[in-house]
Amino acid sequence: MMATNTESKQITQAGPIIEARDLSKRYGGFVALDRVSFGLRAGRIVGLIGRNGAGKTTALKAILGLTSYEGSVRVFGLDPARDRNALMRDVCYIADAAVLPRWLRVDHAIDYVAGVHPRFDRKRAEAVLATTNIRRHSRIGQLSKGMITQLHLTLILAINARLLVLDEPTLGLDLIYRRQFYDTLLSDYFDQERTILLTTHQVEEVENLLTDVLFIDRGRVVLDATVDALAGRFVQLNVAADKIDAARELQPFHVRTLFGKTIMLFENRPAESFAGLGEVRTPGIADLFEAKIQAATP
Amino acid sequence: MKALLIEIRREFWEHRALWMAPLAIAVALLLAAAAFGHFRLDIHDEQALQHGNTLPHLYEFALLGGAVPFYLAAAILSSAYLLDCLYAERRDRSILFWRSMPVPDARAVLVKLLVGLVIVPLGAYALAAGTSVLASAILVLRNHALVNAVGAMPWNGLAWLRMQGVMLYGLVAALLWYAPFAAYLMLISVWARRSPYAWAFIPPVLLVILEHLEFGTNYVGRVLNGGFSELMHLAFRFDVPGAVVSAGAAASPDGPINVQLSGGAELPGLTPLHLLASPRLLGGLLAAALMIAAAIRLRRFRDDG
Repeated sequence: MMATNTESKQITQAGPIIEARDLSKRYGGFVALDRVSFGLRAGRIVGLIGRNGAGKTTALKAILGLTSYEGSVRVFGLDPARDRNALMRDVCYIADAAVLPRWLRVDHAIDYVAGVHPRFDRKRAEAVLATTNIRRHSRIGQLSKGMITQLHLTLILAINARLLVLDEPTLGLDLIYRRQFYDTLLSDYFDQERTILLTTHQVEEVENLLTDVLFIDRGRVVLDATVDALAGRFVQLNVAADKIDAARELQPFHVRTLFGKTIMLFENRPAESFAGLGEVRTPGIADLFEAKIQAATP
Repeated sequence: MKALLIEIRREFWEHRALWMAPLAIAVALLLAAAAFGHFRLDIHDEQALQHGNTLPHLYEFALLGGAVPFYLAAAILSSAYLLDCLYAERRDRSILFWRSMPVPDARAVLVKLLVGLVIVPLGAYALAAGTSVLASAILVLRNHALVNAVGAMPWNGLAWLRMQGVMLYGLVAALLWYAPFAAYLMLISVWARRSPYAWAFIPPVLLVILEHLEFGTNYVGRVLNGGFSELMHLAFRFDVPGAVVSAGAAASPDGPINVQLSGGAELPGLTPLHLLASPRLLGGLLAAALMIAAAIRLRRFRDDG
């Protein structure tokens, strides 16, 4: 996966399943996306991470053909704005659990998806549902939020889709349900043929899941990298008290003080530069996100 | 076809009143027939009685009277449904779920139009027809028909068929005539951010009042009136010999229904070509198509984010 903002970088990997070039979207005077370009390959779990209003959901809506936009987006080679219906056979989407209508019965929800989605595996959905406490004749309004999420996930995971898009899927769920959600996602859905694109605020909970990260802030991509590449590209230096000035000379892009310790983050610096300056670590995604967002803030 | 059927069923899952209310009317009428099914004819006009077709025609009017509650219910339910269907899915955010399925917006909107404009009224028609058969059967079984020497009540197969044909024709004519009203309600439903009922009815009323105050005219009012009498005169011909003079029914305090007839009774003639050639009907259908296209586009590209 690669991304740039104003300079559109050529996507070199064979067959990106999602390719956005100079993607822009405005709501009146508010710029939600500002000439964003990125590409996603198959078999990845990509975290689209940003603060509220950063443009995450707008980007997802553009990918799903749910909003108009400027620039170019291709998903499986299709234009989402024009070919949304064909696209939705290969793409599943969960906005959040609250979007399942409260008046719908569980068995009717299964009937409906089985009726309209050619790739829905009814037996699989019913087998998964049988392992839960959800009663088939209950209305969704009678279920707890955790059960609704289970049901939604059951419906979605029974669809043999190639791309799963999750927009803050665990919002409002307690810790147990959040973990169950991601465990189910990994064990029952993900494989090398399928791709998951998810947005979340709770970076810590997904950082062990992700294969790629895409940080977005104020409509612009501030970081686009594979998780594997982060270790070679970023260094967190817990600076020894007497080496702060020496470390600053290496031009960290972010500095913070925690419990009296100075922590600096560096990008694209050779490891030997930090010899004798302190403890060298690979930053976590949450720390990196915070640092990149602050560094990008004027 | 499978997808279409499940999408139609989905509408009835969500809007249960669409099938429950007509069914309740049918049950109520059948219970009334069973409980008070003492049908007595008091025909005061001897000339009318001697007219060979009087009783079958009277039966036809009884059928019409029995169908009216179904049609009134269908009109109210359909209007409420069409005004709510595209608004409700945004209000509860379920549109995000529906749109995550491979269902084109055009199909989603057209299915709702099909349900509100066609299926519910035709369902009411079918239910009214079925109820009339069952009610007639109940009346026959109770053997309370006092027919004044002519054994045509309460069941007359030919009259029943004829009346069903006329009512079906009238229903189809009304569906075409009121299609722009249905499309208008759907457009308001998909457009309004809140209070679709207020948006649907207050601006037209204000427009009529403003026109009256400003210009002293009532052109808008006449257009909005729906033109039921105009529809009747376009779809039917009432100048057939012996056309109905007056017919009435009243429940007497002791239960039996008394039907009174004065003069002759004849069903009006059908004039479908006259209706289909009407500029107002054609203009209305064109307006309906444009409003439905706008509703599809609004659902497709509306972004409340």
